[in-house]
Amino acid sequence: MTAAATAIGDGVLDELRDILGGDEYVLPDVPARVNRTRVPAPFPVHRWGEFLPDVAVLPRTTGHVSEVVKLANRHGIPVVPRAGGTGLADGAVPLRGGIVVDVKLMNRILDIDLVDRTVTVQTGINMLTLNRELKQHGVIYPDDPASYPCSIVGGRIGTSGWSLIGGRYGHTRDLVISMELVLPTGEVIEVGDGGGRKVRKSSTGFQLKHLFMGHQGTLGIATEATLELVPRPELEFAAFFAFSDYQTAWEATGALAKSGLATLAGVVLFDEWKLAYLRRDDEAYIPQPHTVRAVIASAMYGARDEVEPAAKRLMRIAKETGGKYLGDEISQGDWASRHDRYATPLHGRLKDGQVVPMCWHCEDASIPYSALPAVREEWHAIAKRYIDRYGIFDDWGMFAYTNGAYKPWGDYLTEIDIGIWEQELDDENWAAWVDCKREIAEVALRHGGSITACHGATRAGDVELVPQEMGGGFEVMKKIKAALDPNNVMNPGKYLLDQAYEGENGREAVR
Amino acid sequence: MADNEVGETGVGQDTNGRNGREAEFAAEWRDAAYNCFSSGHKFCREVCPVMQVTRNENHSPTAFHANVIAMEQGLVSVEDTARDYVHCTQCGACELRCPNTLFTGDFYRYRTRTVDVVKAMRALAVEQGVEQPAWKRWNELTDERRNEPVLGEVPVSQEHVADWAAGLELPLGGETVLFCDCEAAFYRTSLPRAVAQILKAGGVEFGLMREQWCCGGPAAEMGYIDQARRFAEHNVADWRAVGAKRILVLDPHDYIAFTEDYPRFFGDDFDFEIVLVVELVAELVREGKLALTQPVERVVTYHDACRLNKRKGIHEAPREILRAIPGLTFKDVDHVSQWSYCSGAGGGLPIERPDLTAEISRRRVERAAELDVDTLVSACVWSERPLSEQGAAGERPLEVMDLMELVARSAGLDGGEVRA
Repeated sequence: MTAAATAIGDGVLDELRDILGGDEYVLPDVPARVNRTRVPAPFPVHRWGEFLPDVAVLPRTTGHVSEVVKLANRHGIPVVPRAGGTGLADGAVPLRGGIVVDVKLMNRILDIDLVDRTVTVQTGINMLTLNRELKQHGVIYPDDPASYPCSIVGGRIGTSGWSLIGGRYGHTRDLVISMELVLPTGEVIEVGDGGGRKVRKSSTGFQLKHLFMGHQGTLGIATEATLELVPRPELEFAAFFAFSDYQTAWEATGALAKSGLATLAGVVLFDEWKLAYLRRDDEAYIPQPHTVRAVIASAMYGARDEVEPAAKRLMRIAKETGGKYLGDEISQGDWASRHDRYATPLHGRLKDGQVVPMCWHCEDASIPYSALPAVREEWHAIAKRYIDRYGIFDDWGMFAYTNGAYKPWGDYLTEIDIGIWEQELDDENWAAWVDCKREIAEVALRHGGSITACHGATRAGDVELVPQEMGGGFEVMKKIKAALDPNNVMNPGKYLLDQAYEGENGREAVR
Repeated sequence: MADNEVGETGVGQDTNGRNGREAEFAAEWRDAAYNCFSSGHKFCREVCPVMQVTRNENHSPTAFHANVIAMEQGLVSVEDTARDYVHCTQCGACELRCPNTLFTGDFYRYRTRTVDVVKAMRALAVEQGVEQPAWKRWNELTDERRNEPVLGEVPVSQEHVADWAAGLELPLGGETVLFCDCEAAFYRTSLPRAVAQILKAGGVEFGLMREQWCCGGPAAEMGYIDQARRFAEHNVADWRAVGAKRILVLDPHDYIAFTEDYPRFFGDDFDFEIVLVVELVAELVREGKLALTQPVERVVTYHDACRLNKRKGIHEAPREILRAIPGLTFKDVDHVSQWSYCSGAGGGLPIERPDLTAEISRRRVERAAELDVDTLVSACVWSERPLSEQGAAGERPLEVMDLMELVARSAGLDGGEVRA
C-alpha cells in the first residue's frame, strides 16, 4: 500500500499537460508528491501523508505559471509555490494538497546589464550558480544566506531572506529591485518600489515590492526578478575574537556594530553553549581552550582602500573591549566555510552521549540588542526543560547576528539551534516540540522582538503568535489576502489567513 | 525494527512478499537515509550532473534517501520509484558536497552513501521484477556475449575481446595482468594499444587474461547483482588460473568494481593488488622509466574522471602526467570545481536516458570550450564517446583524447589511430 491516489482528476491533469506542454512537466506520481512535501525544518515524519500535494508541475515560463494559477481558480484547487525547498518555515509545505508549482526549471539568466548594474533572472536560479556566471563580469549578486549553495531566488523572495553580509550589501528585500509576479488570480504584474524595472527608489503609488516579499507564497508567485549588481569585493577581511565571558563579548559586539564602518558586513556572537557544541561535534572547528566562553566573528568587504584602514579600526575596537584575536587560521578558514557549516548538525547527542541522526531547528528571532543577554538565559532554560523531559532534543547553542542592513546595530538575528531526533517522533513528541517552539517565540515577543528575522512565521508553534505580534496589522493582512485571492487558492491554510474568509470577509475556505 | 511493527500504514503487515521485502530494505537503510533526510539541505542539487539538467526533485540525491524513509512509512513502493533511480550517474559529487561528509566525515569516518543507496534500490527493483527495459536488454546481451554490447566496428564476443592487441605480441597470464575494459576492447581500441605500448616501454611486464569477461561492474550498478557476481567469479578464477597477483586497470569503472564490488563479493579471499594504470604511469614518468620526449603542441584541459576524482580522490596523478608532456599548454580547472562536472556516461544513464547523457556531455564540452582549448583530455574511456560526439558538434570542434593516447604520442609510440 502506498500513498493515496491523487485527488485531482484526469481532466485537470490533461489541462495541466496542455498548459505545460508535455507529460514530463506534470508529475502526479507518488515520489514526485512525496518529495515535494517537506523542507529541512523539523517535520512530523509520522504524519507525512497528510501533507502530500496532488500533483507537481514544472513551469518554464511566466505564462505557464499564470495559466496554472487561473486553472486552479477555475477548479478551486490549492496552489503551493516551491523553489529550492530549503526554507525553514514550511512555506513550501502543502497543507491541503493541490498543485505544487516547482519553479526550479525556470533558471535562465535573461539579462545582464552592466551599465545600469542589474541582472534579470527567472526565479528558479540558485545564487551560487548565478554568481559563477556574473563573476567573469567583475560583479556579484550579494545575497548570501547560509543556504547560499542550495537556496533559490524565488524562495528568497517568498521568505524575504536574510544575508550573512547584509550589514554591508543589504538583504533580499534590498537587493531585489523589481519582480514579475503572478497574482493569486493569475494576472501578471510587475512590481518595484514604484514602476520601472530597474529603479531602486520611487515614491509613486504604494510601496508594493515589500508586500510581495516574505508572504510565504500566500500572495502569488514571483517568476522573474531584477537584481542588484555590486562590484566584486577586492578584499574580504574576517576576524574572530575570544572572550572569557558572555557579558564582555556582548558589550564588544555592540561596540563593533556601532562603529559606523561602512564596510562592516556582519558581527556574529557565539555563546558558550555554541562553543561547547562546536568543541564536541564539529571537527572543522578549531578548538579553543576552555577559558574561552564566547567568540565574536566579524567580516568586512569592499575595496582594498576602504577595508584595510577599517580593519585596523575594527581590530582596535575589539582589543579595547576585551577581545583576543584568534589568529588568521580560524578567522579566514572558519569564515570561508560558514556556508557549509550551517548544516553541520547531521547528528546530535542524547543525554548519555549517544550520537543519533537529528534534524535541526534554527530559531531566527529578531531581538533588540539590549535584550540579548536575558533572552539567551530564558531560551537555554526552555531547551533544558524539554531535553530533560523528552530525551529527544539537544541544545546546540546560540548565535546572534547583526540584523539591520547598512545600519547593523539595533537588533540581532538571534538563533538557538536545537536538535530533534526525528526517528522518534510521534504525536506526543511532536506536540512537545511545537510547545517548545512556541515558548521560545513567546520570549522573543515579550522582549520587544519579532518571531522571525528571515525564515517566516508560518509553522506551528510560531503562527499562533502572529496576530499577537502583528496586532492591527494582522487585520490588514486578512483584508489584503481576501482582496487579492478571492478563492483562497494561494497556499491556503498558511498564516491563519483562512480567517480572511470567515464572517464578513466572505466565503469559507475552498478546501 | 521487525516487519510486523512497521505500523498502521501496513507495509510490514501485508502478507505480500514484496512489501515485506521493502520493509526489510527500509530497516536496513534507515539510518543512512535519515542522516540525509534529517539534514535535508540539498547542497547536492547544484553539483549533481543530472539535477543540473532535469531540475526535477525526484532525481535529487535527497529524494533517493527520502524515499527510503517514505518506504518505511508505507508511502512509496519500489514500483513507484524505481524509474527515478535511473537518474544517477553514480559520480559521487553529492556525497562530497554533502555537509555531512564535508564537516563531520573525518571525525566520524562518515561519508554520505548515495551511490550505495542507489545501487541497493536498483538491486531491490530487479529482485522485485521491476526492470528498466534498456537495462534488462543490455544485461541479457552482456550475459550472452560475456562482454557489454558496446556499439563499434569490432563485434562483441570472446573471439574478438583481444583484437585490439593484434601485433603487440602480448603474452597470456603471468603475475601481472592487464584488464581491458569492454568499451576500450571493442570501441576505443586506441586506448588499450597506447596503454600496452606505454607499459612495455616503461619496462612493466604483463600479460592478458585467457578469457576476459566484462568486470561485472555495470551489472552491479544497474541492480543485476547475481550477474555481476557470476562475472566477478569468472574473472577471479581466470586470474588465479594464470597465476596473476597484480591487476592493471585502465578504466575507472573497472577500478571501482575491483576495489569495491569484488572485495564485497569475496571478502578476505580477494587478495589481488589492483593498480590503476594512470597512477602507475605517473610513477614511471616520475622515476624516469618512461621518457616523454616528443612535444605535443596542443592546448588542453583535463576532464576529471568522476570515479577517480569524486569516488576515489585521485586527481593529482593525471595532472602530474599532463605537466610532464613537453609542448602541451595545460589550462587546468581545479578538481573541486569539477565536482559538478560529468560526462553523463556512468551508472547506466546512457543506456536508459541517452538524451540526458548527451546534454550533460554538451555542458561539459561547453565549459572546456570557454577555456579556448583544442583538446579535452579524459582518463575515463566511457566518458570519451559522448564527450567526443559533443566536441565534434560544437561551433569550434574540440577533440577528445584519452590521457594515455597523449602519453603514447609524447613517448614516441604510435598508440594507434585515435578514434574521433
